Amino acid sequence: MFPRPIQHYPRASQIGYQVMVPIVLLLWLIPLLAVMWFSIKPGEDFTQGNYWNWPENGFSGVQNYWMVFAESDMPRYLWNSVVITVPTMIGAVALSCMTGFALGVYRFKGNLLIFFMFVAGNFVPFQILMVPVRDLTDQMGLYDTRLGLILFHIAFQTGFCTLFMRNFIRALPRELIEAARVEGVSEYRIFWYVVLPLMRPAIAALCVLIFTFVWNDFFWAVVLTQSPESQPVTAGITSFNAQFRAMYHLMSAGSIVAAIPPVAMFFLMQKHFIAGLTLGAVK
Amino acid sequence: MRSIFKTSAAALAAATMLSGAAYADGHGVSGPLRIFSDMSNPAPRAVMEGMVARFTEANPGVEVELVITDREAWKTQIRNVLQSGTADIVNWYAGNRMGPYVEAGLFMEVSELWETGGLTETLASTLGAMTMDDGIWGVPYTYYQWGVYYREDIFAELGLEAPATWEQELANCEVIVASGRACYTIGTQFLWTAGGWFDYLNMRTNGYDFHMSLTAGEVEWTDPRVRATFDNWATLVNMGGFIADHQSYSWQEALPFMVNGEAAAYLMGNFAVAPLREAGLTDDQLGFYQFPQIDPAIEPGEDAPTDTFHIAANAENVEAAEAFLLFVASAENQTLINNGDNLGQLPVNAGSAVDDDEFLNAGFEMLSNNAGGGIAQFFDRDAPAEMAQVAMQGFQQFMVDPSTLDQVLEILEGARQRIY
Repeated sequence: MFPRPIQHYPRASQIGYQVMVPIVLLLWLIPLLAVMWFSIKPGEDFTQGNYWNWPENGFSGVQNYWMVFAESDMPRYLWNSVVITVPTMIGAVALSCMTGFALGVYRFKGNLLIFFMFVAGNFVPFQILMVPVRDLTDQMGLYDTRLGLILFHIAFQTGFCTLFMRNFIRALPRELIEAARVEGVSEYRIFWYVVLPLMRPAIAALCVLIFTFVWNDFFWAVVLTQSPESQPVTAGITSFNAQFRAMYHLMSAGSIVAAIPPVAMFFLMQKHFIAGLTLGAVK
Repeated sequence: MRSIFKTSAAALAAATMLSGAAYADGHGVSGPLRIFSDMSNPAPRAVMEGMVARFTEANPGVEVELVITDREAWKTQIRNVLQSGTADIVNWYAGNRMGPYVEAGLFMEVSELWETGGLTETLASTLGAMTMDDGIWGVPYTYYQWGVYYREDIFAELGLEAPATWEQELANCEVIVASGRACYTIGTQFLWTAGGWFDYLNMRTNGYDFHMSLTAGEVEWTDPRVRATFDNWATLVNMGGFIADHQSYSWQEALPFMVNGEAAAYLMGNFAVAPLREAGLTDDQLGFYQFPQIDPAIEPGEDAPTDTFHIAANAENVEAAEAFLLFVASAENQTLINNGDNLGQLPVNAGSAVDDDEFLNAGFEMLSNNAGGGIAQFFDRDAPAEMAQVAMQGFQQFMVDPSTLDQVLEILEGARQRIY
């Protein structure tokens, strides 16, 4: 079962624990701290080999972030990310509410089979899909468009969302639905007025999860888009690189900016995020 | 660095500025022209879009349809595009990289265009690199020089001169090593930097033509002439000429050694100058020399990776495509697209002007007048990709431990027999 609370351990273990936690935490955070540190250093420090020391000519955090916001395509990439992520989130969650309802409430032949097909999609390593999906979007004229990315993400995320929603709806008290039926409420109204309100926590949790998944997606962004008109921020960060040179300071600043929305989302919706990870885990 | 972000503005300004200048060759061509480009990085992309804008301005009858593909992805897509007949003009590279498309008859021969357009004189430096099977197959739009960038102040402190011969080179290196420095910095983590060293040593030891046969798979890697190249290389390695642990650095991470004075020079492309200047080295501290001569009987060959435009063999609007190629090759256009605000590289057209920059001038002079052997495209462009990968791994291993030469050459020869 759960580990025993630390208070119940002998004093020595408690001290060891208290010493180790900050150390492990620091180790864990080193890559992130490095990115933050690099993002406020001037570019020449990297050519001088001055990676960790104080910069000789002062910090250039303001210039770096100004460059990212005002003099690069970054705002455009951020906007692309929003345009891709929000419709995907809405689309995948809306679809999975309906599929989840259908698979969770009705008994029909092939129910389990259809459900397994949704789930099976999650077991396909997505790298395998790279070439066919790229060809498909190309043939549909959607290659290098935001719509292409949105449609693919909705299709791919709906599998996981359906699993999530179906299990959640299964766990709802069936009596509520039966009672509504006895009252003669139509099935559409049952979905809309009875089940959907009860699904609110699941919807919130899923929205947060999908938002972070899609915002942080790098793989498909690189495979399906390539111009500043359509690339989301994760792929766009590399445009700080010239053909031969990596601009570590600008990429770091860009990464921090790109990470702000999902991090903000996490802190604002922390409750739902954790609920999302554990919902359905205990039945 | 600023140039990346300034580029679009600069290209726009340039487009307006030059719009008045008529290009002599745009004699009333018209119709749709489909260009597939791989200039996908921000600065090259702006250059490409600017060129199309200026070309349509001068030839209002032509409707250009421009498709820009990711530079890496293009390497696998070009064959499809050429075969399916969807393009009139494509971007590619000079030298052996043209081979597969020339042999398959997918590029249109443009020898006549070179003749009538006077390109044989203006683009003479890359004539060899654009020629294959006695035909010329495209026009170059940019290249950049390779060579040795060195710390003039350290050389002065030790009383050294930039070397012109291998003996001077070794003598210099001995002094530099004795002063507690490495002669050369290098970062071989991503292998290609070692390819540059091999290119130069082999071209100086055995000549440009031998180097080309070797990268084309026509010579055995166990050939004594190849060994001679490696022997020269081993001399430098064994005397402590290169920095230690170079296999753990990228080319950028090897720069600090030169900036901090732990190494005196760097064999690199001209793109190394910008970061070195940013790091605080002035033009008084930084110098450039051509890779020294090893065998006096051999004309110097130079690495200058060249990017090109080609007409597809099944192009529909050949007239407009030829006009575009002439436009690209013109001195004015090459001056503009290669200046510091745009590509920041060298124009191929000998009539072009170069930004007033010590290193660009030195490179332009060297490639236009002092590369009699020929222009190579760099190891990983001259050799097939698979061979280049194996070979450059071998170079790295050799640089770490020269005593493994026999084993390295065996592996390379095995790879040659399998790949070609």
